[in-house]
Amino acid sequence: MDESVPGSEGFEALRQKSIAAAEAVIREASSRPDLHLVQAIQALDDTDKYLNVTATRASEWYGLHFPELTQMVQDNVALCKIISEVGAREAVTAENLGGRGFTEKKVQAVIEARDRSKGGAISEGDLGRVRALASLAIQLNVLRGGLNDYVEAQMKKVAPNVAEVAGATIGARLMAKAGGLDRLAVLPASTIQILGAEKALFRSLRTGAKPPKHGILFQHQAVHTAPKWQRGKIARTLANKIAIAARVDYYRGSEDASIKAGLDKRLESIKERYKEPPKRKPEQRDRPRRDARPKRDKFRRR
Amino acid sequence: MSSLLREERMGRTVLLTRNLSPGKKVYGEELVLRQGAEYRVWDPFRSKLAAAIIKGMPADVIREGSKVLYLGASTGTTASHVSDLVGAGGLVVGVEFAPRVAREFVEHVARERGNVLPFVADARDPSKYSVAAADVVYCDIAQPDQTEIALLNCERMLRKGGALLLVVKSQSIDVLKEPERVYLEEKAKLEKAGFRVKGMYELSPFEKHHALIYATR
Ligand SMILES: C[S@@+](CC[C@H](N)C(=O)[O-])C[C@H]1O[C@@H](n2cnc3c(N)ncnc32)[C@H](O)[C@@H]1O
Repeated sequence: MDESVPGSEGFEALRQKSIAAAEAVIREASSRPDLHLVQAIQALDDTDKYLNVTATRASEWYGLHFPELTQMVQDNVALCKIISEVGAREAVTAENLGGRGFTEKKVQAVIEARDRSKGGAISEGDLGRVRALASLAIQLNVLRGGLNDYVEAQMKKVAPNVAEVAGATIGARLMAKAGGLDRLAVLPASTIQILGAEKALFRSLRTGAKPPKHGILFQHQAVHTAPKWQRGKIARTLANKIAIAARVDYYRGSEDASIKAGLDKRLESIKERYKEPPKRKPEQRDRPRRDARPKRDKFRRR
Repeated sequence: MSSLLREERMGRTVLLTRNLSPGKKVYGEELVLRQGAEYRVWDPFRSKLAAAIIKGMPADVIREGSKVLYLGASTGTTASHVSDLVGAGGLVVGVEFAPRVAREFVEHVARERGNVLPFVADARDPSKYSVAAADVVYCDIAQPDQTEIALLNCERMLRKGGALLLVVKSQSIDVLKEPERVYLEEKAKLEKAGFRVKGMYELSPFEKHHALIYATR
């Protein structure tokens, strides 16, 4: 921009431009982008399923013709690329296997397998059908990548604190379960903790079995990489911080790094305090508690 | 007639800033008449800059005619008082990242005040806004790397001899460390970057675990 200060020629025009630009950004942000985000994360999860189903079918079908290749290339998308781009077993060469990140040894092994393959012949028509499936899988993978990038970027804008604390995709899934950022922002932490575990929750209410300790939050690496006996406590801490983060995102809309910092600190202290597995009397184990009241957690905020 | 007045009320210091947009409140603050002009009561419990001034920061760092780059404008509570302080001949460039709070800043502060330029932008990317040769960079963004962000902005936009006012929230930088230690570490970073630290004001009882560092370059 320039040296303009209030009073100087052109400053007011500059100011109006700056206000208009700011309002344009704000307007865009207030078109309930959280609802689009909710659709996007669900589309992402759907696409994951389609991709998996399609690629698995292509792999199985192609496996009738060249089973060794489907064994050797474990990554389904990489396999689909070969099927779609190269086609028949006889067409596979060291050259067209190049540039795919395979080691030389692997390429060599595939070529040898090609020459002594136990697979059967495949008709032109069937090969066409398998290749179409494989190319659909590739397209789904591209779509998946785009959705994933969108979810990551939008979460940073729409719910930066939830994204920071829960991670973008998990945060978006929680938002989808709740039905939007506004809904997530009013849920108690205890509900957030078990979002996505509704089945287990109702089962526990019906039968008196133990209530679930986590739902979607199990996907968070702090939960699933922790020893079993810490997971419930970690999930609860995480849920507490996510509840705060969602409220800050919804009501204040600003970033607050202290939420994540507070989480890290609490996780540290849980790991420290509950380093050893709890000693339980053997007869207590696994007996479903008739009394479905949750046990008071010893881990309390000090 | 100064843009900042200081009064004692029942043993407490009260700060007042001369209202640049008379008759209008920004956030429900009290309006009072002094020497024939309207002033706005500046609550140190709601504004860390007011708290710092009450805790001893020189009141003339931001004065009439100053050009101020304000990072983390939020809804504009403090920024509106800065706009009063610098007056019609000064400039406040307010940067806020989050659209929801920026909306209030634009509506209630930028639109109403001829000396405020708003930017909805990330202070990590100062190419998105600019002030030539600011007299003061005020930074209150509650980020763990905010000192680095402040320095990056100073490098581009603070004039030689200008001042940096950095609000340090120890909890956003490191919750485990003693606040005092965090303040000293951030201070050391400024000194390493060639700033002279003129003062450090701990903001209790107005804010817990906050300090404002005043440095010049
Ligand atoms: C503690 S508040 C500021 C309060 C304000 N100074 C006052 O006293 O009225 C911090 C603000 O900085 C904003 N913020 C955080 N990181 C930012 C960044 N990288 N760029 C711009 N603004 C940021 C947040 O959205 C939040 O509104």
